[in-house]
Amino acid sequence: MTESTAAMFSGHATNGRVLIVDDEPDVRKVVRMTLEKAGYDVIEAEDGEKAIQAINQGENPLTLDVVISDIRMPKINGVEAINYFQQQWPRVPIIVLTGFPDMEMATGFLKKGIVDYLVKPVEKEKLIGAVSKAIQQREIHRL
Amino acid sequence: MTVSDSHSHIIILGAGKGGTALLESFLNLPGVRVLGIADKNPAAPGLKLAQLHHIPTSQHPLDLIQKNDIHLIVNVTGDPTLPALLQPYTNPGTEVLGGSASKVLWELIQHQIHVQSQLFQAEKLAGFGTFASGIAHDINNPLYVILAMAEAIQEETDITEIRQQAVSIHEAAKRIQTISQDITQYARASRSQEFVQVHIDKQLNEALKIARFATKFQDITIDKHCQDGLVIYAKPEEILQVFVNLLTNAIQAMEGKGTLTLSTEKQDGYVHVAITDTGCGIPSENLQKIFDPFFTTKAVGKGTGLGLYNVRTIVRKYQGELEVESAIGKGTKFRLVFPCFPSN
Repeated sequence: MTESTAAMFSGHATNGRVLIVDDEPDVRKVVRMTLEKAGYDVIEAEDGEKAIQAINQGENPLTLDVVISDIRMPKINGVEAINYFQQQWPRVPIIVLTGFPDMEMATGFLKKGIVDYLVKPVEKEKLIGAVSKAIQQREIHRL
Repeated sequence: MTVSDSHSHIIILGAGKGGTALLESFLNLPGVRVLGIADKNPAAPGLKLAQLHHIPTSQHPLDLIQKNDIHLIVNVTGDPTLPALLQPYTNPGTEVLGGSASKVLWELIQHQIHVQSQLFQAEKLAGFGTFASGIAHDINNPLYVILAMAEAIQEETDITEIRQQAVSIHEAAKRIQTISQDITQYARASRSQEFVQVHIDKQLNEALKIARFATKFQDITIDKHCQDGLVIYAKPEEILQVFVNLLTNAIQAMEGKGTLTLSTEKQDGYVHVAITDTGCGIPSENLQKIFDPFFTTKAVGKGTGLGLYNVRTIVRKYQGELEVESAIGKGTKFRLVFPCFPSN
């Protein structure tokens, strides 16, 4: 696998840089713990507005490999945030992580190019697997 | 006999369980006007209900039955000798219903009340489909925290971190407990048929807890302007159901984004409640139909078409008023008016 851009910019080897967008601090913490143990670099945002700020900050526009986003959030909701991410950074893969076990919604998102629709509670292997798959997709886009 | 209007004018004797049920039903019948209710027990529940509706009450039947525009006296006191005792004092045009006739009438009304309450319950449970994914969402979030942290804690060696995660697990479990309590409280059938003092603010807050499950998104601003201490005399579950129905519709109309404005105030002995959304609005051709039973614009399985019908039935029962105004693309406002308690 190609060395990720995150590693190139931050100077230390990680498997990739992931932005988690969720309004619940404990959910962000759980995702962070899971992904950091698997060697990823994790940044957090509590809503769509903060996510857009975070994604535009510093090196992030270049170093971000994956966005994991909830959809039920205050201010800018997940759907709007995801639309924005897709327009601004069409090559950054997005994973939806939500409490809604809704097939219709999942299909809608997948059609829009979301790489995975994960329903909480998600097993750590599944979360890590989805992130790893998304990063591979990101690498393919870079080629 | 003078007949001032086309209504049937009725006096009820007995304001216990039977008299209250009769009064409650008569209040819903447009062709019937109750001119008074008597019971020797000043604390009888029917007297309180009548006072709320400005219907004359008395402990002595004779105070009420001598008026000259009474068509029917219904005796549900359980005292079979009463009609005969009162006969000399009643006007020739007044019929007195007692004995088995009034018992059959009472049973019919009991049956009607039972059917009505089953209809309310059916609509409430059918409406739960609307909330299912919202409830799942609100449970799945803390459940994820519990499962992931309980797993991580097994390998964690830092005692501060272990403690922090234990606190998070505890908080998440408590959130699930609250959700479970909120749902079961709403879902259960009305336990009590008693009229009690109902605090409008409390019922609105309870209703908000349920109605918020109706949306997948959480981008709704709630703007509350509520006067404290507004009380009506009603069955709490019915008032809760009115608010849950109206708030759920409002939240769904906004499709997860907008402002929900709730306002309550007391004016001239009445409690005024307004529920305003900034949603899609109701087309003018539908405004006349929204209170009809089984009228719905929601997809099959998403709405029973009984929500607003039940809202109107309940509001009418409490001698209240219900109005709606709506503009396409701007939103909808429902205005409710209930008589205050105490009624002065």
